[in-house]
Amino acid sequence: MLSLVGAIAISACTNEPKVSTAPTTSVTSATTESKTESKTETPKDSKMAGHNSKVKININEAILSSLDKIEAELGIAGLSNKIQAARPYAKVEDLVSKKVVTAEQFEKIKDMVSIETIVLTGEAKDVDYLTKLGLMKGHMIVAKELLDLQKPDQAFPHIEHPVEEIYADVEAQLKERNVKEFKQSLMDLQQLVKSKPTDPSITAKYQEAMSSIDTAIAAIPEAQRQSPKLALQVINAILDTAGTEYMAAIANDKIKEIIEYQDSRGFTIYVEQLYKSIATTMEKDHPDTHKQFIASLEKLKSAYPSPLAPEKPVLSVAEMSTLIKANEQAATKVYAKS
Amino acid sequence: MDRQRRKILELGLGGMGLIGGAIACSPIISNRNSEQDKSSSNPPKKIAIPPMNLSAVSQERIKTSGLDPIATLREFDYGKVTQENGRTVREFQLTAQSKTVKLDAATDFITWNVNDRVPGPTLRATEGDRVRIAFANRGGHSHSLHFHGEHPSEMDGVKPIRNGAATIYEFDAMPYGVHLYHCHIEPVARHISKGLYGMFIIDPPTPRPPADEIVLIMAGYDTNGDGRNEMYAFNGLPHFYMQQPIAVQQNQLLRLYVLNMIEYDPVATFHIHANMFQVYRTGRSMSSNEESDVITMGTAERHILELTYRFTGKYMFHPHQDTIADAGCMGLFDVVAS
Ligand SMILES: [Cu+2]
Repeated sequence: MLSLVGAIAISACTNEPKVSTAPTTSVTSATTESKTESKTETPKDSKMAGHNSKVKININEAILSSLDKIEAELGIAGLSNKIQAARPYAKVEDLVSKKVVTAEQFEKIKDMVSIETIVLTGEAKDVDYLTKLGLMKGHMIVAKELLDLQKPDQAFPHIEHPVEEIYADVEAQLKERNVKEFKQSLMDLQQLVKSKPTDPSITAKYQEAMSSIDTAIAAIPEAQRQSPKLALQVINAILDTAGTEYMAAIANDKIKEIIEYQDSRGFTIYVEQLYKSIATTMEKDHPDTHKQFIASLEKLKSAYPSPLAPEKPVLSVAEMSTLIKANEQAATKVYAKS
Repeated sequence: MDRQRRKILELGLGGMGLIGGAIACSPIISNRNSEQDKSSSNPPKKIAIPPMNLSAVSQERIKTSGLDPIATLREFDYGKVTQENGRTVREFQLTAQSKTVKLDAATDFITWNVNDRVPGPTLRATEGDRVRIAFANRGGHSHSLHFHGEHPSEMDGVKPIRNGAATIYEFDAMPYGVHLYHCHIEPVARHISKGLYGMFIIDPPTPRPPADEIVLIMAGYDTNGDGRNEMYAFNGLPHFYMQQPIAVQQNQLLRLYVLNMIEYDPVATFHIHANMFQVYRTGRSMSSNEESDVITMGTAERHILELTYRFTGKYMFHPHQDTIADAGCMGLFDVVAS
């Protein structure tokens, strides 16, 4: 929240940033520098030895575990979250003007960071891919529950979301990973649920769409997906979204927006499924974290007694966010060991 | 929110002129003439903005609703200005998030909005400026910002930005006129009507004559999720300008930037009492196309309307779809003696 306030203050008062947001001279010089520097830095500008200037981290887009590389470079605990919370950045120097790092610290990492869209590679790319497909699954899971409850009108938005919110974001990766496109299958299902909500073919269409998503997920080998490090990053990203949706569902201690409540429920159920795939390894290698996760998932699930939202929230937004944050911190310890 | 402004209100110094002076560091300028006059060859003509002496009830309503129609009325965000390669760059920081607002004593509504306000800030640039929008999404759902005006396809803002991520939209401000920005994730009607929109004014290279400039954005609220609007408003808060008339000066040019952002109803008119206005369609001309006292606007249509009140007193303005007006989209100008 603090960082949010910061971001707003900046947007409200930016003609002379030194007045409101950047009182030190070092910051001012960094801001001035940005005026002359073009926003694209060429790799040869790299002054620091040791960094591979080709693998810059996009501070607007990168997932937490990628930002951890910056955190590790500077040795500042919690920096990744701070970088994420102070988004958006119009230029890399905003890390200084938004007081995420000092000018001295910025010098050490400036060759690692970028605001240019970066083609994701390796694990970060896999996490991104699995997170988006996981969100699709979450939407579909809750859609099915609502179809089974004979509530096609309530199921509809959750069948719509994977196509409208997520598919375009993952389309390029599907192609690269040689996954057969399945947008049409999602759209057919959407159309059926909308115009023929009692059509018996909905079940088969639903299964077809769901198995297309599973096939897309299987483009990453199972052995890799069962690595706690990879799975936990996906889990964190999905839980973070579940928490935000939960917050966006509640006003004045009432569940006002049932769609967002249901989204949040679907994501949490999927997270539980995903955790099962690494539970054995976790229990063996990280028993304490495992215990914490199991307990906290149980608690998180209690917020969703039914696909049809209760009138009053079972967990407060604050309780929800505390649980999710604790999971994130526990997971970070697991990555650090891997 | 705009805490500086709020503070001024609390101190009871609510005149708009005072506010403009108090936040000298802000790019949000109460009247554009104060910025444009410096470059204009014409001697600046003083535009008088009568103080708005907010009633205790209005102040209380602004505080409890979480919406500030006074700010939307005459605040323009010119961005953080820098020069890059000899041209003006305007940088804006926009964040999508959710916030509960109180539309009336009985109605809590969860908005999705830009920078914690509905409508989002009115962004302003001059034709040919470089505009750089740093956009972060903290809304749970994927969102995006799609700008009207001309720009390359990559900057069209239809690609979903996932929760927690940020991106940069950058393009040249063109062509001059009254434009808008809004989220373009499906279902677009829901994303817009929950509050993810704002006005984007591109000033012509030769400034328009000095005038008291006012933003009026019409919008609808679907408070029960039935795909129809139950409430309507100018600048976010239903019925507000009826209880707090907009003070304008007699015999002075008034320039209205009017946008119809009502979803679910295909069309609304804008009508003023006891006067005629000159129409500059989409703000795309320097001379008026027509004169009327009622103009028909489909969703996303926007125009500049110019008029001068010769007589003092209170005059209504509203869509002539009277059910829309009765449900909150109605206001008064209070013409004070010059
Ligand atoms: Cu949106």
